[in-house]
Amino acid sequence: MTDTSEHLAPHAVERLKGLRSQGSHEGIFTSDLSVNEFVMVRKANFEPLGLVVGSCIYHMGIQYGNWNQNMEMDVLSQAMYQARELAISRMEQESILLQADGIVGVRLEVKRMEWDQDILEFMAIGTAVAHRSGASGFKGVGGKPFTSDLSGQDFWMLLQAGYRPMEMVLGSCVYHVAHQGMLKSMGNIGRNTEMEQFTQAMYDARELAMERMQHEAQEAQADGITGVQLHEGSHNWKPHIIEFFAVGTAVKAMENADALVDGLSPQLVIPVND
Amino acid sequence: MSIWDKIKHGIEEVAQDAERAVENLGQMANKGVVRSQTPEEIQRYSEWEQALRQRRLPNFVQNRMLQTSQGHLPWISTAKASELLLQRSHGVQPIGMVTGNCWYHFGYSWTQGHYDGWHTAVARMRLEALALGANAIVDVRMKVRHGEGEDMDYGVTGTAIRIRGLPPAAEPVVATVSALEFVRLLEDGVVPVGVAIGANYDWYMPWMGTVADQANQMAPFSARYQNMEISDLSAFQENVRRRALYDLREDGRRMAAGVLAHTSYTQMFRVAADQDNPERFLCRHISIGTAISYLPKNPPQHELITMVSLADHPLTSAPTSRKDLI
Repeated sequence: MTDTSEHLAPHAVERLKGLRSQGSHEGIFTSDLSVNEFVMVRKANFEPLGLVVGSCIYHMGIQYGNWNQNMEMDVLSQAMYQARELAISRMEQESILLQADGIVGVRLEVKRMEWDQDILEFMAIGTAVAHRSGASGFKGVGGKPFTSDLSGQDFWMLLQAGYRPMEMVLGSCVYHVAHQGMLKSMGNIGRNTEMEQFTQAMYDARELAMERMQHEAQEAQADGITGVQLHEGSHNWKPHIIEFFAVGTAVKAMENADALVDGLSPQLVIPVND
Repeated sequence: MSIWDKIKHGIEEVAQDAERAVENLGQMANKGVVRSQTPEEIQRYSEWEQALRQRRLPNFVQNRMLQTSQGHLPWISTAKASELLLQRSHGVQPIGMVTGNCWYHFGYSWTQGHYDGWHTAVARMRLEALALGANAIVDVRMKVRHGEGEDMDYGVTGTAIRIRGLPPAAEPVVATVSALEFVRLLEDGVVPVGVAIGANYDWYMPWMGTVADQANQMAPFSARYQNMEISDLSAFQENVRRRALYDLREDGRRMAAGVLAHTSYTQMFRVAADQDNPERFLCRHISIGTAISYLPKNPPQHELITMVSLADHPLTSAPTSRKDLI
């Protein structure tokens, strides 16, 4: 994550102080965890500290693809990436103030502003948590709080499985799919055939998004990425422009993992009420 | 769409082409924001092109897969945290996310297109899994994207896994279930092996109209008040369905497996008579399912424990992937 030395608004600092009075757990916490999630986060020896949020309203630059060529819209790719990154780093900033070890249940949302189709709103929101005993060693990259989109249950499960979250990793690629020329369309009349250029565009865009996400995880010194979701979206762009967005939580194996996992004997449950 | 409509449509497209070209030129002149491909991009595209033609992966993808399988790059898994436990309990190791797709144009057959599209996409995903040295692909999701004309993109994504103690498979199995469910099935001696598709379509041109039309002709005033089966249409539709299900079974048989069909779809149209053709009907049926291989004589091994959930919503199994795939 990029380091931002941004100043939070005074009332934000005030709110965060109320949530956690200088390192003690006496403050009142806020969170959007469900009851089950809350129980499981506490089971994992973590305490919720407060809802942390970061947002970013971003004007997307203009870029045109060549009508009949497949290509990445790099201006848009960068915009989608940078805006998300900014929102996340602002959220991180809040959690640092709370002296949190990390953030669970991060949701990333993108919304289009009504008055201008080039303006998008990005929001990152999650619950900052800290280890109950103050144990260090759960922080993410470079001693910063970890970020993850894991639910409370998943967070507990991940720790039980001998891994700890490092960072929420993203990969984004906005791609212009070439239009087919007239000759090509005419040639396809009556034929059942693959449209290779289109196939290639989708394949390449997905590959690029995945490469980028994997690269981020490597930078975060993670062993792997879990819970990866691949979103395909068009934020009101022209019909031939699509975004592939890969997101997941980069995780790292803990040292005492083996003992932890062996202590757990899972029971298989098959619900019969369909 | 008749051939003439298509040609007309094509000519309209040419006009649009020209319009766009002018628009493009205008943009170039005004703002200089039309980007053209960089040499690296051109290189990348030609590698894709060659690779897809030769039914292999481009070198840069092959390379990333190799790096991932050797642990130089982080593994990628679509699975939730709970499935990481399987690493120790069952030796299931996630390696990487694999994908494949095929954008397909339907010329003479929409139905056959579904069959070819899915099979091509799955074959491509398998190539990636092979490059990772995987034993299986789990959590395979199928997704379609509708094109602008008579075309569609068939996309599959999944997580390639390695099972401890097994050599890399020459043909990794493809399972639409999650790793947890995959292991549960394995424990019962059941192996999900792939995706099976049965698709069939046919035209029906009733001679002298359908049974209902004939009855109407015989007794113009009374037939419409009577209940009657339009038996020829029933038989026609049933035949198309039966042939599609036969194809589904045959597709499963090729993998030596039974099929759990999760998607079934039938559609029937009436095409009104025109100058060249009398009134006719088109019917199509598609079934898509997961092929599973097992020995029927071995009963399931798992014990059943009855339990009551205190949560206010009942325990549910993994969400079913009955999605719109047509």
